[in-house]
Amino acid sequence: MKFMLTEKTMKNELLALTLLLVAVSLTARAQAAGALRVVATVPDLVDITNRIGGGLVKVDGLAKGAEDIHQVVMRPSFVTKLNKADAVVFLGLSVEHAFLPGLLDVAANPKMRQDPATQGCVGTGCIDTSEGLSVLEKPDTLSRAQGELHPQGNPHYNIGPDQGPLLARNIAKGLSRIDPVHAADYKRNLKEYLAELEPKIALWRKWVAPLKGLKAVSFHKDVCYLGRFTGIDFVDTLELKPGVAPTPTHLEALVREMKEQDIKLIVREQQYDPKVCQWLADQTGAKIAVIGTMANAFPGAETFEKISERNLKALLAAVGKEPS
Amino acid sequence: MRNALLSLLLLLPLTAAAQIDASSTTLDAQQELKELRARLDKIEGAPLKASLSAFNPAMGMAIDLAYQHMKNDQGAFQFRAAELNVEAPIDPFLKGWAVITGTSGGTTTVDVEEAALQTTSLPYNLTVTGGRMFAAFGRLVHWHDHELPVTQRPLSIDSFVGGESRADGIEVSYLFPTDTYINATAGMYDKIGADNTRQDPAGLRSLDQFTYLGRLSTYEDIGDDHSVELGVDSAWTPKRFVTGTTNTRKDTWRTLSSVDFTYRYQPTQGGLYQGIVWGTEILQNDERRFDANNNPANRVNAYSGYSYIQAKMGPRLRPGVLVDLAEGLDQARQLTKTYSAFLTYDVSEFQRLRVVYSRQMDNIPGSRQANIVALQWTGVLGHHVHGFRDR
Repeated sequence: MKFMLTEKTMKNELLALTLLLVAVSLTARAQAAGALRVVATVPDLVDITNRIGGGLVKVDGLAKGAEDIHQVVMRPSFVTKLNKADAVVFLGLSVEHAFLPGLLDVAANPKMRQDPATQGCVGTGCIDTSEGLSVLEKPDTLSRAQGELHPQGNPHYNIGPDQGPLLARNIAKGLSRIDPVHAADYKRNLKEYLAELEPKIALWRKWVAPLKGLKAVSFHKDVCYLGRFTGIDFVDTLELKPGVAPTPTHLEALVREMKEQDIKLIVREQQYDPKVCQWLADQTGAKIAVIGTMANAFPGAETFEKISERNLKALLAAVGKEPS
Repeated sequence: MRNALLSLLLLLPLTAAAQIDASSTTLDAQQELKELRARLDKIEGAPLKASLSAFNPAMGMAIDLAYQHMKNDQGAFQFRAAELNVEAPIDPFLKGWAVITGTSGGTTTVDVEEAALQTTSLPYNLTVTGGRMFAAFGRLVHWHDHELPVTQRPLSIDSFVGGESRADGIEVSYLFPTDTYINATAGMYDKIGADNTRQDPAGLRSLDQFTYLGRLSTYEDIGDDHSVELGVDSAWTPKRFVTGTTNTRKDTWRTLSSVDFTYRYQPTQGGLYQGIVWGTEILQNDERRFDANNNPANRVNAYSGYSYIQAKMGPRLRPGVLVDLAEGLDQARQLTKTYSAFLTYDVSEFQRLRVVYSRQMDNIPGSRQANIVALQWTGVLGHHVHGFRDR
């Protein structure tokens, strides 16, 4: 009798558990169905959009984070994500030229269309996070003789640790425009995020004080915003010109330049060739700092905050300093 | 007293100077503020400098050159193409593009390869394209010559389609609203194939003399680094009117069908720097053939196909091999085999060098094997977009 009671109780518990799971699943589905569907091009934007949107958005990412942003592969699975999206959050300044215009062209989503003239996104669903950015390295002349230039200026501002608030504000602004009913929620989430991020930025500024005035070279010309934050003077690149691979003649000249100017720091973006950087380090006695150009470039650096912090620690470690 | 007077005399000019300095600083600051205001007004109030050319289409040109060393130790420099692309949105609902190509086939010719309009805002995931376009048939078939992995268009698609899949007509494509990528395309054209001479491109025709295309393609990610794509299609021409010794339109229907499969290994780490692409396509042509005098001959069911593997070794180098098999359209037993090895070097995103070695042989009695070495040099001027269809 006791056994039967136990069995009955267990059955009831199982039934209750099943019903609960079904209810949770249905609620989750209903919530997901009601949520704003957002596609973000890079993991930094996925992270911040999740923070600003909270449970009101469902965010899908395109780039994984370890790629060269100039060479992100267009997968048809990205097309289906963009097709169903209410909004696309992108860095802009044509940095996503390798994949976003081509994907928008075939995504058949009237809310976000490719603009062939600007390689940008046009439509109500477009959220460009570069709005209001103080753009650095605007080219004086537009010629491919200068390499693979971005016509509107250097677009790698997400590597600048102090650019988080700009990204967050633009995302909040964009989400509020597309989903005005929840504008107050996005504003509140933005405030909470900034309350967390801004003290960190202040702390990071203290960390990087020893880096001020230090001369360095990077592999690609994508570190100007990082340079502005840290005070590091990036004087040259391993690439001959943006997007043009290092040539032996250029590398020899770079070795001379680094010796003459006593440059002791090489910044390698993790996606670029480690061998040539090591060769340069061997020739000049400089130390190498490996940084990520997007969140999730390294395991454990999935968010904008984490990748920014990791990059700064890598720079400090390369010059024998520690965060203070 | 004397000292006090002396001090006063000495201090007076200093005080006056300090007052003059202060007022001049204020004046300088005001002047600077005024100048800054004027500059700001100029920036904010000025019309956009690019406004006069803002509506010009984006333009680019691909220049494709080659040197080919062929059988009998003879070779030639070839101006393969100068391809001018223009593209722009027309209004919020439509975009347009044109591809005008100059080629050298003995004499230089300029031709409109594409001139098409495409909707951008239709509901229900529909896109309509009309005009002269490369019909969405097969995989490599609708690629422009300079975008192919090898210098020469594989014979299997060149002979069966008739060059690139150029077609005058209308196409409707539908993207299924599913998580898995599935795309369906239906098209109606005068004919498919730039060098397809079965139909007079300018002549009028009845509905049963048009070519109708249906294509279905899908894609699946296998984990983060692997993916497969599959496409099936068939182009059907119900009738063809042939004028010869015996005029006929009986039993002249034609189907050109294909199945294409692509496997990609693209490790996320390193972006496009590493990876493998394996592409395969099999075509079947079923039609009634006609002899040199347009007299009806037998219906021939012929097959062709290619398979290639291209590796990506670093940001610049892409070696690969291609095997191409093509049966004769008139005699399916005649088989031409081409084996190619190629090495592509991307100097930059806009400049490419390529060397290709091909060995071609067939089973026609008495024919000789041909060895072909080609060096190709391609550059892109101006506007350049990474297209989804040609990825």
